[in-house]
Amino acid sequence: MFDFKYRFQWRQVINNLPAMLDGAWITFYTALLSMVIGIVIALTLLSMRRSNNVALRSVAIGWVSVARNTPALLQIYFLYFGLGAFGATISSWAALLAGITFNNAGYLTENFRGGLRAVPETQTRAARSLGMTSFQAYTRVVIPQLLRIVFYPITNQMIWALLMTSLGVVVGLNNDLMGATKALTDLSYRTFEYFAVAAIIYYVLAKLTFGVARLAGWKLFSY
Amino acid sequence: MFSTDLTSNDLIFLVQGAWVTIELTALAMLIGTVFGTLFGFVRASFPTASIPLAFVLDVFRSVPLLIQFVLLNSAKSIVGLKISPFTVGYVVLGVYAAALCTEIVRGGVLAVPKSLRLAARSLGLTSLQDTLHITLPIAARVAFPGWLNLMLAVMKDSALVTWIGIIELLRTAQQINTRINEPLFVFFIAGLFYYVVSWAVSQLGNQAERRLQND
Amino acid sequence: MSMKYALAIGVSMLVLGSTAAKADKLDDIISSGTLRCGVVLDFPPMGSRDGNNNPVGFDVDYCNDLAKSLGVAPEIVETQFPDRIPALMSDRVDVVVGSTSDTLERAKTVGFSIPYFAFEYVLLTKKDSGINSWEDAKGKNIGAISGTFEAVQAEKDVKSWGAGSFKGYQSQNDTILAVDQGHVDASVSVSSVVAATIGSGKFPSLIMGPKIPYPTDYVALAVAREEYGLINYLNLFINQQVRTGRYAELYKKYFSAEAPSLMTGAVYR
Repeated sequence: MFDFKYRFQWRQVINNLPAMLDGAWITFYTALLSMVIGIVIALTLLSMRRSNNVALRSVAIGWVSVARNTPALLQIYFLYFGLGAFGATISSWAALLAGITFNNAGYLTENFRGGLRAVPETQTRAARSLGMTSFQAYTRVVIPQLLRIVFYPITNQMIWALLMTSLGVVVGLNNDLMGATKALTDLSYRTFEYFAVAAIIYYVLAKLTFGVARLAGWKLFSY
Repeated sequence: MFSTDLTSNDLIFLVQGAWVTIELTALAMLIGTVFGTLFGFVRASFPTASIPLAFVLDVFRSVPLLIQFVLLNSAKSIVGLKISPFTVGYVVLGVYAAALCTEIVRGGVLAVPKSLRLAARSLGLTSLQDTLHITLPIAARVAFPGWLNLMLAVMKDSALVTWIGIIELLRTAQQINTRINEPLFVFFIAGLFYYVVSWAVSQLGNQAERRLQND
Repeated sequence: MSMKYALAIGVSMLVLGSTAAKADKLDDIISSGTLRCGVVLDFPPMGSRDGNNNPVGFDVDYCNDLAKSLGVAPEIVETQFPDRIPALMSDRVDVVVGSTSDTLERAKTVGFSIPYFAFEYVLLTKKDSGINSWEDAKGKNIGAISGTFEAVQAEKDVKSWGAGSFKGYQSQNDTILAVDQGHVDASVSVSSVVAATIGSGKFPSLIMGPKIPYPTDYVALAVAREEYGLINYLNLFINQQVRTGRYAELYKKYFSAEAPSLMTGAVYR
């Protein structure tokens, strides 16, 4: 039925595994960094969203809306080549990081907004009446509880970020897992072999991240 | 003042690209919804027996889509399967959508109180009748917002098929830019297309959701 | 009874016989009536789209000529540079008419005809880059189209410099944009393409930089590795294009210059 003319060549993939694993590390810390910055921005957007200033609120709403309604690939491409037309040249990695962070911030803002509804308003008032400033009440009472509620969505977003860092290759990134894999296939045309191994590495990365997050969540929130 | 070399022909070209994006999304969602509903019910009804299924579906959620496109595209040529890249595109997207839709449907089914199902059965409904007339309508209501979000996600992710040589919205934008070199403007317009379609879909969805909640 | 047996044997022999004498690609193309050419359409003037977004260029005309000689209809399948060989392997195209350098590494995977075109490489750079020779490029950031002959070569060079960096992009347009916007200092590009890019007037800050001392890059038509019948046909077709003057004519049309020789020196092909 099928005529297999193709002969698999795995040896060179094994030989180049170290380069791919180096790439996996870059993939991982890029995703992690995009999450850390994304969470900070999301918390800022969240308070902007709740502010009475129309301009601040519109920026927050606009950010979330653009992040939700346009593809990450387009955003990254736009950040690299669109902004470049203005003379604002950023590196491939910076464009990738900015694109992923932009999305993380947008999606997390929505998650946090949902989570916030679960933290009763009375708590803020109680904190204020204990003499805390509004900022203190937000950072010491609301956010810790919020983080507990949104921990699971944050984990999901982290895995999304991990997988989406593979888009850096469209703006010339060549040292993350996807970029390194692509560079190796360019030389050898062993597309299937290299990408199959890359897929396994991504899977393991995603599962490790999930496992570590589960453990951390269990340790952190088991009070 | 603002001037551009973008012609009306280019806009038509962009619309053709956008149409490919919409076709891909529709086909992928069809596959995703059919299999997602089926698998979602299986997962909710036989949680232990269907663990292997859950594992397989999870793989599709844990590997970058870009790599899934590349892998299926090269795998089908290795086995000599003659299918077009467009087919590869919507099949990969469809399987991905099915994996995500399964979780959404499972959540919906589990949200239907067990007592309600028992009540239906004790009123003499068969298991199938219970599933079709009681569980499905309620689960659908719970799952609808998630399903809508999934559709928007699939539409955005369909931009990745440019990698396997399909000319969709993003690729047409790049093509036009080759000639007129106005990246900022061209990609802004492409972004606007995505934005408007997404926005329209979510508005329609919100309306439908409100109607579902009311009746 | 014996009639039935004889008939059964006859039919099964017919079936077996037809699988044994399998039609090759050349037969398939002729009987299907369509030639699917993989052409790169963001590589003017070899391949691009005109104002109506129809494919035009040297490679498009070359494919049309080839289809005409086979007596079939041409179908231009747009193929990006990194996608050329995968497109062949996955049978999306019958032949790649896409400026494919005939490297030995690629010949392990696909089958090449004799050269149908030849490229010289130059640096595409900005007016004020200060890159006046290939030596000046040492330690700079260099770009090229990912997966091409020149990209593989340039990446090796950048590595041997021990300074500067190499970046591969997905298309010619991305590569030009990267130079224009300053993502890289220069790109290793085909001289004729650079001339066309600068001639378009869309990139006033770019200039054709120094020539790069790479050996002449002969590019060939590529097909599936085992299709000897088709390769044989293509070789003769290319030979005919040259001796009928069609090659020179097409070259003049797109490059307004004398066509380069396709002879590879004192060696048989």
